[in-house]
Amino acid sequence: MSTAVVTVNKGVFRGFNLRQKTLLIIGFTSLLLLAIVISSVEFGDESLHTNFGSKNLNPSPEHPFGTDWMGRDMFIRTLKGLGSSIMIGAFASTISTILAIILGLLSSTGKIADSFIAWLVDLFLSIPHLLLIILISIGFGGGATGVIIGVALTHWTGLTRVVRAEIKQLKTQEYIHISRNLGKSKWWIATKHIFPHLIPQIFLGTILMFPHAILHEASATFLGFGLSPHEPAIGIILSESMKYLSAGYWWLAFFPGLSLLIVVLAFDMIGENLGKLIDPKNAHE
Amino acid sequence: MIKKNQQYLLIGSIIIIMAAVVVVSSMSSPASDPASDPASSDPASRVSEEMVFRGSEEPVSSRGSDELITAVGTHGGEPEAGFNPITGWGYNREPLVQSTLFKKDSSANLINDLATNYTVSSDGLTWTVTIRDDVKFHDGVPLTAKDVAFTFNTAADASGSVDLSMLEKAAAIDDYTVEFELNDPQATFINKLAVIGIVPEHAYDESYGQNPIGSGPYRFVQWDKGQQVIFEANPDYYGQEPYFKKITMLFMASDAAFAAARSGQIDLAEIPASFAKQTVDGMKIVSLDSIDARGISFPMQANTGEKTENGYAIGNNVTSDIAIRKALNIGIDRQALIDGALNGQGKEEFTGVDKLPWGNKEAIFEDGNLEAAKKILTEGGWEDADGDGIVEKNGLKAEFTLLYSSSAQERQALAVSISEEARKLGINIKVEGKSWNEIDTLVHSTPVVFGYGSLDPTDIYLRYYSKSYDPSSYNNVIMYNNSAVDNYLRTAITSFDPDTANENWQLAAWDGTTGFSEKGDAAWLWMATINYVYIMDDDLDIGTPRIQPHGADIFGSILEWKRTGN
Repeated sequence: MSTAVVTVNKGVFRGFNLRQKTLLIIGFTSLLLLAIVISSVEFGDESLHTNFGSKNLNPSPEHPFGTDWMGRDMFIRTLKGLGSSIMIGAFASTISTILAIILGLLSSTGKIADSFIAWLVDLFLSIPHLLLIILISIGFGGGATGVIIGVALTHWTGLTRVVRAEIKQLKTQEYIHISRNLGKSKWWIATKHIFPHLIPQIFLGTILMFPHAILHEASATFLGFGLSPHEPAIGIILSESMKYLSAGYWWLAFFPGLSLLIVVLAFDMIGENLGKLIDPKNAHE
Repeated sequence: MIKKNQQYLLIGSIIIIMAAVVVVSSMSSPASDPASDPASSDPASRVSEEMVFRGSEEPVSSRGSDELITAVGTHGGEPEAGFNPITGWGYNREPLVQSTLFKKDSSANLINDLATNYTVSSDGLTWTVTIRDDVKFHDGVPLTAKDVAFTFNTAADASGSVDLSMLEKAAAIDDYTVEFELNDPQATFINKLAVIGIVPEHAYDESYGQNPIGSGPYRFVQWDKGQQVIFEANPDYYGQEPYFKKITMLFMASDAAFAAARSGQIDLAEIPASFAKQTVDGMKIVSLDSIDARGISFPMQANTGEKTENGYAIGNNVTSDIAIRKALNIGIDRQALIDGALNGQGKEEFTGVDKLPWGNKEAIFEDGNLEAAKKILTEGGWEDADGDGIVEKNGLKAEFTLLYSSSAQERQALAVSISEEARKLGINIKVEGKSWNEIDTLVHSTPVVFGYGSLDPTDIYLRYYSKSYDPSSYNNVIMYNNSAVDNYLRTAITSFDPDTANENWQLAAWDGTTGFSEKGDAAWLWMATINYVYIMDDDLDIGTPRIQPHGADIFGSILEWKRTGN
């Protein structure tokens, strides 16, 4: 382990140890994401007003991401799109986590419940994810709510499996047997022994669900489901930009695409670095 | 959770996509839109195959030859049910394969096509049309009055896109005379005779649209669904022989069509108005004025909880207030809308039919007058009491949703612009893009951006006549009911004297005291007629274009088309 630290600890932040570095990365990326969300809320709808005098402008200091066919500033549009994506991601992750915890705990209550939940997970996994989102969003009447519900209701499967497996493994542990033999109630065992072990898994699972949810929201809106084409959503921006490729307006696709990539990677980085800190298996590296 | 290898895959693919984007745009090569490109179809590559086959030296399309490769989206796009006039092919525009009894020339005058003459009985209920005796279908069978009667009877039964509810029946008197019996003496029936292509009785069945036979200037050769349709000149055509011997129509989105035109694969393409300022070597951009008006429907009834027979809500408490409708009509600046939202490709529109003989010039008003509009609102009882910038009346905020078809870009731009303009008046318009299926459920309670433009004044009748309302269609979708207007419309549609008819159509818009136009009830908010923008080979001469209706009719003048300079 110590050799690994030495080889890793190079580069700009040489002065910090790995733990400090990890914290630093988490702090920076969280700040970036927080800034995106806050600024997207801060910019009112007025900032997205059309200005047909300045349409299809190249990127410039005034419009860092250029402008689109209605003269709207692409930077603000992208920011608002990313902000709403992140918020949808947050909502979807929360719902999915709650579902995963409930189902995971349910699966530990008995054989029938366990096989039912395993079947349910398999069922959901057997349908292509995007298709499922589209089906659910149409089932809920389409529109923005449809997409949000669709994204929220389809991301619990992975985490449920993890929680279920973790519980199964924990239940075979000796100290749990001993607790049971000492006459502790099931509830006591669940809250004092099992749940604390689940917390890091759930926490990391939630954060690492963000990128998935964001990408799926972007895909659904890219395909034209959910939001109206004039609203700022990253998928809509990207699909609209496709129409202008032949006119050579590359900035319409490039910057929003890059921003989406950065946001997704940022979440992944937070998740991985948090994992280093929280996960007992590598928390001491 | 994203695994490590998945993560690299993701990053890799995104980088590749973006690299592709940059490469594509910097090389300015054609990029067909993956979203709108039907699976596995690549019209461009098909075209190049064809060119190879013709042994042409340059990888340039049929420039200079008597063949034409087009991508014209507005020619109905790819007709789902095939090239069948009964199901709507060629309605409002040149059907190419079939011929019609009458046609309209470039000033909308009626000219004979198949017909040689027609008479109407004094009660207006019996129409007799005589037709040419030298016309053959593409399969060599002569076209007779029986085919004409068959076409109209079938079209009336099918109740397709042409409203033929006034037709009782059509019957052949002899080989070249056909008699139409009407149940309502509508003088505008003549327009129906100009829009329905005649199909052969002997070769008509369910699959006619896949393999159409007609008597028009072009013969159907082949239809590759999702890709292209090929027409060839009909050697036995009774009219003037067309210059172009072969027309290939590619089905592609207008932006992809522009890219294909730019790379020289297409001779004529309809392009988005936002591309009107682009330049391409060897090609010219032609922008055709149209009578295709964009307007916003204002539900005229208040919302009382009533539902249509389909269970959809009726009425809107804000738009049923005349002050709101008038203020919006007067307050917005139409020219600014055109310069902005339509990229300059349009003309102001005030009554929906300004540019037609039955448009009332008296009903045109001065717009862009914010002060007058605000005054109307104040007098109508709308005041901003709580200081949020939105006026209200008796606790009701002046706000409503405006729907547009999410696939129509110019409607999106108009809707967004109108919403921003309305804010200056203190009216809050929330804009929403939806599919037509969704709009259908909301159309009787929510304003919608519509497009109308027809050479048939029946359009006005269907839009404003109170009894035209039909929940299964957009007829009188706003549920307008004004007995004076009803009277004028009824007189107009039954007047066989064109002058009397036109005068009454005009009076329906504004007679000095009432009407459907802004000066009267301000039932709709008409904004602009849109231009149709095409890019075509420099040497292509399309003659005098016909008046462009809703959906445009660039092929209307096909017999005049030729190449110059060769």
